[in-house]
Formats: sequence, C-alpha cells, structure tokens
Amino acid sequence: MLLASATTLPLLLAATGCRSAEAFAGPDPLAGPPSLSPDVITLEAVIAAEANLIHLYKTAISGVSRATAPLLSQHEQHLTQLAARLVIPPGYRGRVGPESTVPAGRPSGLPQLRAAERASAASLVRQLGSVEPALAQLFASVAASHATHVAALGG
Amino acid sequence: MGPVPGALSALQAVLAAEDAAIFGYGVAGAHLAGRWLAAAEQDWTGHNRARDTLSAMISRLGAVPVAAQAFYRLPFPVHDAASAMALAAYLEDGVTRAYLGLVAVSDPRLRELGALAMQGSAERAAYWRGRTQAFPGLPASALLPVRPAGQSG
Repeated sequence: MLLASATTLPLLLAATGCRSAEAFAGPDPLAGPPSLSPDVITLEAVIAAEANLIHLYKTAISGVSRATAPLLSQHEQHLTQLAARLVIPPGYRGRVGPESTVPAGRPSGLPQLRAAERASAASLVRQLGSVEPALAQLFASVAASHATHVAALGG
Repeated sequence: MGPVPGALSALQAVLAAEDAAIFGYGVAGAHLAGRWLAAAEQDWTGHNRARDTLSAMISRLGAVPVAAQAFYRLPFPVHDAASAMALAAYLEDGVTRAYLGLVAVSDPRLRELGALAMQGSAERAAYWRGRTQAFPGLPASALLPVRPAGQSG
C-alpha cells in the first residue's frame, strides 16, 4: 500500500511530472454552486410546465374535474417521475416550486385544458434534441400521454 | 456518411412493429363491424403508409428493410369484438414501444419523428382500450420507484 503524507505528496507529484495546480485542476469547490447543465435547465422548465397543467386541472370547473380525474392523476405521475430525475445542488434557488406561474382568474374549462395539453405535447417534442436519450424518452412518453388527453377531452 | 449509431436498427425495429400491426389488424378486423371495423381499416391503412415510409428511409440508408413474417403468433386468442379491440390496443402498444427506441438515437430529426409517431399510436391505443395511459411505450422498469408522500425511512 502506498501512503502519501503532506510531505511526500509534492515529491510524488514532482516524480510523475505534475505540478500541484495541474493535479487539482477543475472547478473550485469554494467558488459557489456549479452552473447547471442544459439537461437540468430543460428538466426544470418541463417540471414547471407540468405543475402548471396540474394547476389548470385543479382549477377546472367542477363538472369538468370529475371527468378529468384520471387525467389529473396521470399528470401527477408525470410530475413525480420528472421531479425524481432532478437533483438540484445545495443552495441553488431554482424555478421549480409549489407556486404555479398560471395567473389566478376564471376557472379553466375543456377548451383551455385541450389547448394546454396540445401545447405541452408540442413543447416536449421541441425539447427532445437537447437532452440525453433516457430523458428524451421520458419526455416523448409524457408528450404521447398529453396527446391522448387531448382526444379524451373531446379534441 | 452513414446513419448515426443505432438509427438503422431502431428503424428496422419500428418497421417490424408496423408489419406486425398490419398483420394483427387483419385478424382484428375479421371480428369487428360498423364503426369499429371502419376504425380498424383506417388504422390498418395508416400502418401500411408508415411501413412504406420506413422501408424507403431504410433503403436510402443503404440497407435492406426487414421483411414481414408470413405469420405472427397472437398474444391471446381473438374470437370476438372485445378480444379484437384488445388486440388492436396491444398492437399499438408494440408500435409505441418501437418508436420510443427511435427517440433514443442522437439524430434530432429521428427523435422528433419517433415522438410524433408515438403520439399517434398512443392515441389509437387509448381509443381501442377506452382509457389513456400515463407513460405510453415506457416499460415499468424505466420508471423510478417513488415513495408515496408521507412515508419515510
């Protein structure tokens, strides 16, 4: 076993042709939280959009909400799976939160729900090219589910 | 320059799924009538178009499209309208899974093609099944185990 103490480490580095600065090249752990990867930023936006859809369903008029309960349940499953893939560095203040960006107003009805589902499916497809394959497949599956919701809502 | 890695095998897998759907709709259609038969014929036509498009794409990549089988083993007996509709949903699920494979290749155009085709097959599956699914095409193993809210440890 080779043990490197504080005195032997510089000697080892010198013997291998490394300078200490090179050996520890990389992000400075004391410089603050690292910048987020494009996948994380995209995932954050998708999670926010899914949360907004759930908000729309929950504010749908009562007659609609009974018919749409299974669809709402599926959106909640989408949100759970998407959020489970998001790991935010400590101290980072992301955009994902319980608050919806949908402004308060009139309750949503079937046309609004259909339009939101359709727009969300299209938006997810637009994001596919910029994320890693497994995430792209999850986005595509969620988009397909949203597309089926359009038809289920009478679209 | 050849196709991106994985693209050709993913396209061949989709083509095979489309061929299976074409065969299966032929079986299902024999047990359907009225608007259900009309829907099955429409879907059968759509799968034929998709088969032709995929064959052309594969040929353009310099490969030979996989041939359809003469016969496909059905996943369960089909003897009435209910089992015929269940078969149609089963076939569409298979097509959806195959297009999901296309979404994993690195070519963004193929990803988009796969995702849009998934929407069509998922809609048809929901029509035949009578209900929607949360994750069309994704196997259960692809979903992360998530503990219900309120549980810990």
